[in-house]
Amino acid sequence: MTTRVDTLLTLSGVGKTFGGTVALEGIDLSIETGKVHAFVGENGAGKSTLGKLIVGVHAPSAGRIALDGAEVHFASPAQALDHGLVGISQELSLMPQRTVLDNIALGREVMRGPFVDARATRAAVQAVMDRYDMQVDLDARVGDIPVVEQQKVEILRALSRDARLIVFDEPTARLPSDQVAPLLALVRQLAGAGKAVIYVSHFLEEILEATDTVTILRNGRHIRTGPTASETHETLVEGVTGSVLGEQYPEITAPDAAQAPVLSVRGLSRPGVFENVSFDIRPGEIVGLAGLVGSGRSEIARAILGADPATGEIRFNGGDTGRSIAARLAAGMAMIPENRREQGLMIDRPIVENVTLSHLRRFSGALGLDRRRERAEVTQQCTATGLKYNSLDDPAAALSGGNQQKILFARAALGDPALLIADEPTRGVDVGAKRSIYDLIAGLAARGKAILLISSELEEILGLSHRVIVVSRGRVAGELEGADLTESALMTAAFSGT
Amino acid sequence: MQRTILFAKTYGILVVTVLLFVVLALTTEGFFTDRNMRNILDQQSGVLIAACFMTMAIIAGNFDISVGAVYVATPLVALLVENATGSIALGILAGLGAGAVMGAINGIAVTRLKVNSFIATLATSFVFFGTGYLVSDRSIMRPETDGWRDLARTRIFELTSATWIAIAVVILASVLLTRTRFGRNVYATGANREAARLAGVATDRVQMITFVLLAGAAALAGILGSSRAISAQPSDDFSFIFAVLTAVIVGGTSIAGGAGAIWRTVTAVFFLAFLSNGFNLHQIDPIWQRLIEGFVILIAVSIDAWSQRRSG
Repeated sequence: MTTRVDTLLTLSGVGKTFGGTVALEGIDLSIETGKVHAFVGENGAGKSTLGKLIVGVHAPSAGRIALDGAEVHFASPAQALDHGLVGISQELSLMPQRTVLDNIALGREVMRGPFVDARATRAAVQAVMDRYDMQVDLDARVGDIPVVEQQKVEILRALSRDARLIVFDEPTARLPSDQVAPLLALVRQLAGAGKAVIYVSHFLEEILEATDTVTILRNGRHIRTGPTASETHETLVEGVTGSVLGEQYPEITAPDAAQAPVLSVRGLSRPGVFENVSFDIRPGEIVGLAGLVGSGRSEIARAILGADPATGEIRFNGGDTGRSIAARLAAGMAMIPENRREQGLMIDRPIVENVTLSHLRRFSGALGLDRRRERAEVTQQCTATGLKYNSLDDPAAALSGGNQQKILFARAALGDPALLIADEPTRGVDVGAKRSIYDLIAGLAARGKAILLISSELEEILGLSHRVIVVSRGRVAGELEGADLTESALMTAAFSGT
Repeated sequence: MQRTILFAKTYGILVVTVLLFVVLALTTEGFFTDRNMRNILDQQSGVLIAACFMTMAIIAGNFDISVGAVYVATPLVALLVENATGSIALGILAGLGAGAVMGAINGIAVTRLKVNSFIATLATSFVFFGTGYLVSDRSIMRPETDGWRDLARTRIFELTSATWIAIAVVILASVLLTRTRFGRNVYATGANREAARLAGVATDRVQMITFVLLAGAAALAGILGSSRAISAQPSDDFSFIFAVLTAVIVGGTSIAGGAGAIWRTVTAVFFLAFLSNGFNLHQIDPIWQRLIEGFVILIAVSIDAWSQRRSG
């Protein structure tokens, strides 16, 4: 086998400004065929913008892009597509109501006179699938198939247009964790078939696992490019954040085993979702609730808060909880929901209103809301939480993902809860902000709060939890603690029921 | 750019209204007179009363088309009771009570039956209009007591009682929306219902209350209208709801919910009133009024849509 390397694309001195903001500056890079090339960086580092320059979504403000040695200018994605450069973005551009075949063939239908030759079109699509050994049910409605299959449809659409370079922009951001591996395999397969692949992501594990070359970007600048094999998790974090990160996880103090549990769940069931779930959490204890997406872990958390109906017994602080969410919050529960934009924040409302949403009763008097005291307490709580903002009247949308998440921590902490349920507390948060969220969780536990932690990131569960309850298909598949708490034990339990 | 949009969204209606007022006061004979100003206030009292609570319902994320029908039907219920008992107080109580029940029906349709609020209240509009025909036996109803006409027309410090009631309602609704826990919950429910629910807000109850308050306000407006006209008659007239919705939308309250302000709705009520008053004083064909009003709504909604796109 020869090690011949073909340079497909060369970027020299490429820059991009939006209005007055410099998104990218002085980027020199070359992209090779048959390789998976990662662009990594924090949110706002410019990695997605760089991908979009290559596939013609944006035009560069400076520098030149050369394809096969000849300079090219793309005014639109369609022109880039004509040259075989295709982008696959986070939001898929498929027609969910139409079939897989219609989606792949769109714009490339084989015509006979004014009519579409359905048989020939189907044969052409089938030929592409066979050539790349990627099979999808052509007659299925795209809206009915899983996201990873939808991504396959997009890839096939690109391949049927003779793509030479495919840019994946955060392809796993919306993917359930058990479908990440199949997608990465697909990416490898494309490189194996001689395509150049650019993989834009901030998931370091995926990059280490699936890419050949990695380019680190920070604040719109090119930090370095090199073989992925010579990078480690630590070197990537260092490159991405620009500072040497100490321990990834904070020190966890051991809870007092003699204390009575804060939360006792017995025989919690919700037909078709989870069944006979029982566990305890003591004060100061961080209990991880692990499992695959769809295993029922978030649903169990929601049932504990009272957001979904369930049968069984929930004892809180030794007593009954009441049925409504409001009653359980008042009793001392708090939850950081799984999806902060959809379930947590009022994204266009002021920060102050977002923080106090659950606690308005305490600022309410005979004369209505005491807005001065409200602001004072929110200011104090934001400082304690490390939330950075310009004005409390700014909408939540003005903040970064990490600071938005801290709004929810500030809201929870304002109630001084005895139990905090944190569902995916670091999803979509920068590497640097993650550590401060871990510190918040560890800090709450150290002050005697019970924590129920849910995360798709195994490391996070392993790094923070005293004890882990593994759910599989709605049942408790294992409870791991101390020396038994290992990644392999966890995965074994998680897959046990499937 | 962002700031310009935000400023236009927040204070645009105020600037435009003041401008219009100044222009009319300088150029139009008979506009800036005590009598004309008092008349405008009196004429707008019904729309003001309902528009405040319409603003609240829309902020909570719902539309209510049935306000027009409530406005027509409830004074008929009120007069039916007044005719039967000879008591003004019982008549008013019956009218307001009927309004509250109608609001509760809307609330149940939206929160329990999960029907889209626009569709639900379009449907209940017909029910309420029909109720009006039933209770009046399809004829004009007149009050038995002489006192009924004084409800809206008593003069207190130069202004009519209807004006004073409208002022009181505007203040009450503003305080409720901006200074209380309930008001915050209204914004939260409209801004993100699921997030509000998970944060412990009883979102169904909040929506229910906004519907009941709105229909109650529409009933009050209807009763004052019947006092001014010394009669009430059944109809299928949607014009009241159009006047109310126009004011709320021109006032820049987002039809997506979660944002808006009563003071802007109030300003918009006066903007539209000045506009039409100016046309009348200049004796311009009412058809032109319609056309211009239509364009004003389009402009207001475009500004809203444009800024949504910018911030989204």
